[in-house]
Amino acid sequence: MNDISFIQAALAVLFLPLFGFTVTLFFGKRFSKMYLFEVAIISIALAISIYLLFMKLVYFTDAKFVAQIPWINMGDMPGFGKMVIDLGIMIDNVTVIMLFVVCLISALVHYFSIAYMKGDKRYNRYFAYLGIFTFSMLGIVFAHNMLMIYIFWELVGLSSYLLIGFWYEKKSASDASKKAFLVNRVGDIGMLAGILLLFTTYHTFTFDVIFEQIKAGQLPFNSGFWMTVTGILLFCGAIGKSAQFPLHVWLPDAMEGPTPVSALIHAATMVAAGVYLTLRIFPLLTGDALLFIAIIGALSAFIPATIALTQNDIKKVLAYSTISQLGYMTMAIGVGAYSYAFFHLVTHAFFKAGLFLGSGSVIHAMHHEQDIQQMGGLKNKLPITYYTILMYSLAISGIPLTSGFLSKDGILASAYAFGGLTGHQIFAYTGFLVALMTAFYMFRLVFLTFHGEPRNQHKYDHAHESPALMTAPLITLAILSVFAFYTANPFDAGKGWVMSSWIKTPGSVVPEVLRYPFMVEKKTESAENAHEAAIPEQQVNIVHSEEYTEAMHHAHLPAMLLSLLVALAGIGTAYLFYMKKVVDVDKLTSKIKPLYLFSLNKWYFDELYAATFVAFTMGVSKVLAWFDSYIVDGIVNGSASITKYLSNASNLFDKYVVDGLVNFMAIFSGFLGIFVRKFQTGKVQTYIVMVAFSLIVLLFIFI
Amino acid sequence: MNITLNHFLIVSSLLFSFGLYGIVTRKNAVMVLMGIELILNAANINFLAFSRYSNSIDFGQVAALFVIILAAAESAIALAIVLNIYKTFVNINVDEIDKLRE
Amino acid sequence: MNTNYFFESLNFLRPEVVITVFLAVVLSFDLAFPKLKKVLPYLTALGIIISSGYAVQDFLSMQQPQPISSASKLPLLAFDALAVFFKIIILASSLFLVIFSEKSSEIKSTVERLGEYYSLILGMILGMLILVAATDFLLIYLAIELMSLSSYVLAGFLKTSTKSTEASLKYVIYGSVASGIMLFGISLAYGMTQTTNLFVAANSLTMNPGNPILLVFVSLMILSGIGYKISSVPFHFWTPDVYEGAPIPITAYLSVASKAAGFAVLIRFVKTVYPPVDGLMMISAYNINWKQILIYLSIMTMTLGNLSALWQDNLKRMLAYSSIAHAGVVLAAMATMNDEGITAILIYFVIYLLMNFGAFFIVMLIRNEINSEHIDDYNGLGYKMPFYGVMLSIFLVSLTGLPPTAGFIGKLYVFLALVNSKMIFLALIALLNSVISLYYYIRVMKHLYLMGSNDQAETLKVSFSNILVALILAIPVILFGIYFGPVADFAKNSAVMLGVR
Repeated sequence: MNDISFIQAALAVLFLPLFGFTVTLFFGKRFSKMYLFEVAIISIALAISIYLLFMKLVYFTDAKFVAQIPWINMGDMPGFGKMVIDLGIMIDNVTVIMLFVVCLISALVHYFSIAYMKGDKRYNRYFAYLGIFTFSMLGIVFAHNMLMIYIFWELVGLSSYLLIGFWYEKKSASDASKKAFLVNRVGDIGMLAGILLLFTTYHTFTFDVIFEQIKAGQLPFNSGFWMTVTGILLFCGAIGKSAQFPLHVWLPDAMEGPTPVSALIHAATMVAAGVYLTLRIFPLLTGDALLFIAIIGALSAFIPATIALTQNDIKKVLAYSTISQLGYMTMAIGVGAYSYAFFHLVTHAFFKAGLFLGSGSVIHAMHHEQDIQQMGGLKNKLPITYYTILMYSLAISGIPLTSGFLSKDGILASAYAFGGLTGHQIFAYTGFLVALMTAFYMFRLVFLTFHGEPRNQHKYDHAHESPALMTAPLITLAILSVFAFYTANPFDAGKGWVMSSWIKTPGSVVPEVLRYPFMVEKKTESAENAHEAAIPEQQVNIVHSEEYTEAMHHAHLPAMLLSLLVALAGIGTAYLFYMKKVVDVDKLTSKIKPLYLFSLNKWYFDELYAATFVAFTMGVSKVLAWFDSYIVDGIVNGSASITKYLSNASNLFDKYVVDGLVNFMAIFSGFLGIFVRKFQTGKVQTYIVMVAFSLIVLLFIFI
Repeated sequence: MNITLNHFLIVSSLLFSFGLYGIVTRKNAVMVLMGIELILNAANINFLAFSRYSNSIDFGQVAALFVIILAAAESAIALAIVLNIYKTFVNINVDEIDKLRE
Repeated sequence: MNTNYFFESLNFLRPEVVITVFLAVVLSFDLAFPKLKKVLPYLTALGIIISSGYAVQDFLSMQQPQPISSASKLPLLAFDALAVFFKIIILASSLFLVIFSEKSSEIKSTVERLGEYYSLILGMILGMLILVAATDFLLIYLAIELMSLSSYVLAGFLKTSTKSTEASLKYVIYGSVASGIMLFGISLAYGMTQTTNLFVAANSLTMNPGNPILLVFVSLMILSGIGYKISSVPFHFWTPDVYEGAPIPITAYLSVASKAAGFAVLIRFVKTVYPPVDGLMMISAYNINWKQILIYLSIMTMTLGNLSALWQDNLKRMLAYSSIAHAGVVLAAMATMNDEGITAILIYFVIYLLMNFGAFFIVMLIRNEINSEHIDDYNGLGYKMPFYGVMLSIFLVSLTGLPPTAGFIGKLYVFLALVNSKMIFLALIALLNSVISLYYYIRVMKHLYLMGSNDQAETLKVSFSNILVALILAIPVILFGIYFGPVADFAKNSAVMLGVR
């Protein structure tokens, strides 16, 4: 296997879902079994992606494959310079792992949906949409330049709009899809601005070229401040897509889509795209930009976690938990833990997809009941669903032997180390607090759903375990949530193969004064020493600087113990509250009623936005409408009456003044047309006369 | 009287003008074709005269030969087309054949 | 000049030789097997394919600029990238012409005369192939005559149709006069320079410019012969009438291939014979300001073509005026008189070939069904013939020059060339013309979809081969609109290797 075949295989994986989408969409009406085609296509894509993953990680661990072709070559543009836009794909370890995650979860969602969506009247179309969605996401994964990312970014936006609003007859669903689309656009404007800033400075969209030029010392407008601004603007796209504070409001509403779609969009693909983008631009982020990202991440981790504590809709709990976990990843990037952020992205993708699919299984069993207060005792009725969900919940809470423990522990240790190095301890505290709340609300969900007495006997009686097509994906994902896939040591991911050899943190390219101090490598005494020392050091995988690696090393043990402690505390509290009923929950909530309501009503974000942005927009449009109807119309009417009164003889001007120019041009060219075609008399001798005449005229012009 | 290059050029210009005049004024398609022949032969006179009165190689005479052959071919084709016109329109008045216009 | 020289030079003429051989083969085959008329198109297509194979090979072999042989050798033909590029364009359109003829019901009605049809086509191709490479006035004239004589007959090939016959009569008279004027100009040029060779003429003009008035006069006379081929105003009068009357495949061919050949010879003529003009300032006092001439011609051609097209009810005639307008856009690119402009022309022709043939193909297929090209007969056809409707819309949008079609890219390169040469005014006029053209192209779509009854009684079954041909033309039109790197590079290379300087 060589470069070319890698690229070819990658292109095949990329375009297969598009092919599936096209065929399924166009023949879906004619053949009712067309969805099987899409399922087969995605299975092939999955098989190729596994092969790629294997080949890349085992045989080409340190290689990076790039293929690109010039797309638009404008040459030298006046006033701008060289303008060449390339199309390209890049394959490195992060790409293949992400590729595998997307393909796997997409395939599992396909299988799951066969059973879950059975009987839907737009069954085939649903599968076609899954295809285009997977295609768009894979485009982001493979993209080698900002423009392609942006194109596929918008495609993801479009396809998520189609999927969230799949049941568009339901007003809430169509509203939710519109909300998701529009809120995402807000972030995208920032991202586009960032991309254009980069393009005007570097005349290219390609990552590598941009990084090289930054390394060579070229900054936007030659100022470090603008470098920071560029990074933050690009991150704005991620804020929208990854549902980070303050643009997180679309994600909970997006639960109106079919549940497997939620698993696809909110676990592995769309929301992960934001984190993926931030990882891709990581080298060009300055220290200030990273700090901004960390703050956004911490807020996004904390606020939704508090909201999730009180929600009763099973999918809403998971939705807020998703935002919170994404906040974790964003925070991890902010504190410089590139590899742990990506690691958490992967592990979270598996167990969160599992949680959504599991909730889908429960909802399916309960005949589309989503309120956990109506459930209870389902453990016996849905054994497979129960045990898999238990596994995911352990993982997300960060209990040892699970994948979630490894990644979460890494993030917390990084935050802790970061605090030690820079003094910003708040991130570590937030992290532990959120871990506590996560464990609590997840097990609240588990206990309320599966344990205790059934609270709705009627629905409980009709509940049944889901078919194998639905449980098999659950089991697959549960197995992937075990530590053994990522490291041999269940307590330290740093020594495992994922962290030590597969994911390499790229070095920052921004000038050293703009970085965090710990990201600057201290100069060794002599160059020779450094050269000799470099060989063994490669195996240690130095991240940023020895200082940082050292701090990580020291932070690891306390962070692990503390995170384990808070996880157990969270689970224990949930157990005491909802199993043992030691504390009367209702009494407690009434005691802290304002806080409870604040959480239950999601911090009133929707109301806040409605009162501010939406109201502002509405206000502005009202003012405009008023302006339009009174001032503009007034002027028009006024001028009309004035002309009428002043000159009865000629009111030709009347309304032609307003829109006459365009009409005039059209009529004028029309008249000219009638005029010039009269030259074409049909008589060949006239033509010759006219030629001779024009020759003479031309002669006089040009002599 | 010496015959100079200018005499030839005057003849050829007259021939060219008569040809053009004939093409524009005659109704009969065959007469129009004759006008075209006049134009071509005006060019031929030019070629030959220039060739004769310059001291370069006699390329103009070769050109004239080519043009004569081409003129024959052109009239053959044009006459065939005129014949076909006669079949469909039952006259060969050029100014009456103006169905395609504007 | 010995025989060796002769055989060696045949190496540079392989496409032409193949076409000549097949011309003879088709003629004799038709005489020998009068019953086997069905084979003729395939035979012709085979010849064209072999010939274009050689042309492509020639193109690939041109890694660097081919030096044009020095003036002392008096070359008749140039073997350079510009010529080969246009040969490929011409051969490609010839292939489409054969396919179209095979599909056209008009041509099918004349089955007993297919032998002459295809031999005339081959003759016309031969004329064009020679024309794009010719570097001698006399050869230019002969090549123009060769292609014209064939096309006179082809335009009137439907002997029983009054329109077709009338078209051929007008064409032959008009064409003969135009080329006659050109010949007269050539004879005067010979008098001025003592040569008919372009390079020698250029040398001689630099040394002894002669009478400036005479030079302008002669240049304009020669321009009238070329201008009539590219149907530039004021030499365009034959175009609408002949295009409307001729069988559709021939119309399509005339609008692409013979125009391409005309532009090739115009580029060569202007760039070879006259010393370069720097900006609007002339280096030599006795030079002709071609830039100014071309700007005038371009503005007139674009504007008149578009304005006249506004009121046309016959689609063929409308497309004829539209092709005049497109020639104006190409003339605008030509007016920049630099490599960038030439590149834009080459790109434009590749794209124009696809979209114009596409539009004519659909018009022809619709004519096969409803036996009309009148726009009122198109009412509601978008529903009865959905495939044709969509395809025609694609091609018309591309002809308008709207993204994401190839037509947009073609126009874009022309505009860029104009802006880079600081000819903003001309670019603005071209832009305004695009706006005008939008009206009449969209009008067709309005008739297709918004007018007439849209009772979906029965949709027309389209044969697979028709779909295939339409898609072969349509897919690149879309594809090049999105990914046009290859076309641009292809053209850029040809312009860089341009021998004429």
